[in-house]
Amino acid sequence: MGAYIARRILITLPLLLAVSFLTFLLISFSPVEPAEVILRAQEVPLITDELIERTNEELGLDKPFIIQYFHWLISSLQLDFGNSYVKNEPVWNLVGPAFINTFKLTVASTIVIIIFSVLIGVICAVNERKMVDRWMRTILFVFTATPSYLLGAVCIYLFSVKLDLLPTSGMEGVESYILPVLVTSLGYIGIYFRNIRSAMINNLNEDYVLYGRASGLSEYTITWHILRNSLQVAVSIFCMAIPLILGGTVVIENVFAWPGLGSLSIGAILNRDFPIIQAYVLIVAVAFVIFNMISDILNAMLNPRIRNDS
Amino acid sequence: MFIKLKTMFFMLAAITILAGCTSTKVEDNKNTDELVYATVKDINDMNPHLYPGSMSAQGMVYESLVENTEEGIKPLLAESWEISEDGTEYTFHLRKDVTFHDGEHFNAKAVKQNFEAVQNNKEKHAWIKLSDKIKSIEEVDEYTVKLTLFEVYYPTLVELSMTRPYVFLSPNDFKNGETKDGVNGFHGTGPFKLTEHKVDQYAVFEANEDYWAGVPKIKKITAKVLPAGETTLLAMQKGEVNFAFTDDRGADSINIEGINQLVQAGDYQLTRSKQMNTKMIVANSGKSESPASEKNVREAIWYAIDRETISRDIFEGAETVANSLFSINVNYADVSLKERNYDIARAKEILENAGWTISSQDSVREKGGKKLEMKLYYDSNSPSQKAQAEFIQGSLKEVGINLELNGEESTSIANRRATGDYDLLFNQTWGLAYDPQSTVAAFTSEASYLHATKGIPDAEQFYKKIEETLTTIDEEKRKLLYEDILKTVHDEAIFIPITNGNVTVVAPKNLKGISFKQTQYELPFEKMYFE
Amino acid sequence: MRLIRNLVRDKLGITSLLFLVLVMLMGVFAPIIAPHDPLAINMPLRYASPSWEHLLGNDHLGRDVLSRILYGIRASVLWIFLALIISVCIGTVMGFIAGYYRGIVDSIIMRICDVMLSFPVYVITIAIVGILGVGLENILFAFVLMKWAWFARIIRTSVLQYIEMEYVKYARTIGLSHRSIILRHILPLTFSDIAVVASSSMSSMILQISGLSFLGLGIKAPNAEWGMMLSEAREVMFTRPELMIAPGVAIISVVIGFNFLSDSLQVALNPELRQPSKIIE
Repeated sequence: MGAYIARRILITLPLLLAVSFLTFLLISFSPVEPAEVILRAQEVPLITDELIERTNEELGLDKPFIIQYFHWLISSLQLDFGNSYVKNEPVWNLVGPAFINTFKLTVASTIVIIIFSVLIGVICAVNERKMVDRWMRTILFVFTATPSYLLGAVCIYLFSVKLDLLPTSGMEGVESYILPVLVTSLGYIGIYFRNIRSAMINNLNEDYVLYGRASGLSEYTITWHILRNSLQVAVSIFCMAIPLILGGTVVIENVFAWPGLGSLSIGAILNRDFPIIQAYVLIVAVAFVIFNMISDILNAMLNPRIRNDS
Repeated sequence: MFIKLKTMFFMLAAITILAGCTSTKVEDNKNTDELVYATVKDINDMNPHLYPGSMSAQGMVYESLVENTEEGIKPLLAESWEISEDGTEYTFHLRKDVTFHDGEHFNAKAVKQNFEAVQNNKEKHAWIKLSDKIKSIEEVDEYTVKLTLFEVYYPTLVELSMTRPYVFLSPNDFKNGETKDGVNGFHGTGPFKLTEHKVDQYAVFEANEDYWAGVPKIKKITAKVLPAGETTLLAMQKGEVNFAFTDDRGADSINIEGINQLVQAGDYQLTRSKQMNTKMIVANSGKSESPASEKNVREAIWYAIDRETISRDIFEGAETVANSLFSINVNYADVSLKERNYDIARAKEILENAGWTISSQDSVREKGGKKLEMKLYYDSNSPSQKAQAEFIQGSLKEVGINLELNGEESTSIANRRATGDYDLLFNQTWGLAYDPQSTVAAFTSEASYLHATKGIPDAEQFYKKIEETLTTIDEEKRKLLYEDILKTVHDEAIFIPITNGNVTVVAPKNLKGISFKQTQYELPFEKMYFE
Repeated sequence: MRLIRNLVRDKLGITSLLFLVLVMLMGVFAPIIAPHDPLAINMPLRYASPSWEHLLGNDHLGRDVLSRILYGIRASVLWIFLALIISVCIGTVMGFIAGYYRGIVDSIIMRICDVMLSFPVYVITIAIVGILGVGLENILFAFVLMKWAWFARIIRTSVLQYIEMEYVKYARTIGLSHRSIILRHILPLTFSDIAVVASSSMSSMILQISGLSFLGLGIKAPNAEWGMMLSEAREVMFTRPELMIAPGVAIISVVIGFNFLSDSLQVALNPELRQPSKIIE
């Protein structure tokens, strides 16, 4: 096990380096000249070529590309991403809190996804091919096919306006989590409950279930046993879902005015605030890689076959 | 069967628990003394000597020496003033009962420090010509200051009345005696204090209990960041937000039909100011590679816009048709200008005569192998600008002009305006307090309309005239100069007017005392109260 | 082929396929079947209710909604389909090279894939839109840039699997050229894997593109696209919620179609397998 973890971490390090390089490469294609933008942000009235040249020198932008990259990497590691062009504040002051908000949304959604995937998966499995099963599957099938913003808009209309139960947007108090979490989760639940369902169905046909039934154990106890065995699937879902949701909350954050990375990055695009876009890409990509690594490791701990496979 | 019931029960239980959390905090905003207003953008850096902050928020916190009202300049932090014979010395007698929000006393020393902080960062204030004219500021005694100018400058008091930069921040908040590199706090003298600010979420302003002009009746104002459009409307209907108004940039984030429905439902009232400004498309005459630098093209665009329809269908009559940069009720703007009404045939004719030819119906005109294509930038937070842009795009297609639409945030558009990186963009004049002098002065300012006006023939001469207008003491001469300037920009069709805009306020039905200032950037919240 | 034979037997699968083909044909022939010019502005008909002349009513500029939905197929489905085909092609070539030749080429390609797959789709799209500007073509470019890595990996795995098959080994030993082995023997076998993955990633791409258009990063006005139509409808959702129905139904039904198709393909490919287990972002 230790060897696997060590190997997995060792693979991750060069990957992180490559990811950071690609981020840097991508942003260096941006059409604006960084020096000019910085001067503009400082509202220097007259920008001359000499001034740009001097700023380039100060920023080390006249150095070879690869050296610039390492400069950038080192300051990024210290969470120094420069200043936002628009707010003239260190990027980290804006991106850091937004990341935490997005992460909160992600974790809350993942928990809901697990609870409901397992719950619905179990209900469907024990009622395989009965009405409940069919209906659940149909309804969730439609939800997975619905764009999240449409679902969000309908939910706001229904729960916030018509029923007056929940706030329409923002991030104040527990109740403001409900709608964004619900909308984020629905799509994923529609996918994961099917995994749970099939895992359960496979388990239902296992010997120990038949044996249990034969020896007169209550259905409740049997279901509990099956569930415990299916929980492994749930844990791996948890691992898989976190990075996916983390990178995919952009739309939902916008619909619900969630002050997270998604809202921040869309605003940055419409404001052409490149330092924020750059920090966003780097931070989410790094988080994505790290959570994928943790997910693989957890999966391997739970499921020894994977370890031997790779 | 047993299992099914059991699991169903669990699921129900889970849902009830979730739903249970919800009913804990349903607030009723009626009959309180709080306002929660919706804003599409964070209030940002509240430093009043810089420009990123929300002006309506700064207007609540900071005050100037004098106030611009419908009846002219009135005292505010200065009780009275004298102007020397030659018009270059202004002596202000300050109020003695004013304190900053941090308890610091407001006096001549504070005024001097603030003025100097502004003057030490002069480049950023180039749009306000006064910054160029101030020679010195002196403390005469504890409550008297003397402002000396290099030369006569007629809009001095008007510019001192503006939301920024000549407003006062407690000297305790200065960093090394300066404000240009940021400040330590936002303590002004205004009717409201900033007490809490969560970036991109909300900002809370509380009534200043020591306000010199009497404690405001509204005790708490919250600026809540909400995305444009229906979210704001829904939040209003629900009472999470109970106030909305046309924001700094003139972007109406709520569609008019929605407002009307909200008002009809009975909880809200709608108040509109009188005509405040002109909404327009600015053409970049200075960008020589763009067709927008050609006068004929700009004129054709002017003729091709059906303002009646925009006013009637997009604004539902809330904004009226504008035919010139300034409406005639603006000072010095009552000059006779050539009318250019909606006339597609005329637009086509102008383009045809100018050598822009069309090969077939439905195609784009060309001249010398260059296509008649331009980019129009609009504020992505304003649904009405987007609708106008699309409508105008359709009309221009009819005359053979291809318009590419780009929605961006206001900061980015302001940046394009400053760098000249645009063909056409939506903009508005700055409002009664600023028109015409500041808007005209802005023709010469790089941050504003320098690029737009650069393409005027004999531009240097034109800029000189503007300079002269602002410094002459001869009223008759000034009138003539303004007439000349306004005629030039009108004939050159650089500012293509669309409608006359106003400030719209949607507020709870029982809120009284809603009034407006001479500027679209601020609202007098201190005068409002609940009944 | 077995895949097609099995698919035909699956009623739901074949219905979905026919539906999607029909939708795509409608998109291709939009100029012929659309009752009106989708760009023609007609302000007197602003927000008009459905009528015989305009079956689905008119939008905020009085444009015909039905015609816009039909033209919208192009941006919302056809262009995405094209982007998918391009990324499948790139992915197939890369996957084949990696799987067939192994060695250093393989590791280089797979490491590149690892890096590409380390970026969530939305993130790379935002980066590219941020740099190149708003526009459908930039989003599609970002998609191609990302998605090929998925296909390359899957194809490589399949190739590795098939290469061990007896008759491919045999073909090698009798000295058939690489090209003909790939074209004649391996490509047809991997085709079914490609079809399954492609159809399921098609539905996620449609949802993602519509999401990005909804945010104002996608197609530019005045062109029609379902996500943008929804975003325009959202602005008046409070007063005219019915405007969300047409584009909403269009997106949901096409995505459901692709989901069914992908399920059916998977079952057709591997009848023992009743439940799909892989999800693709």
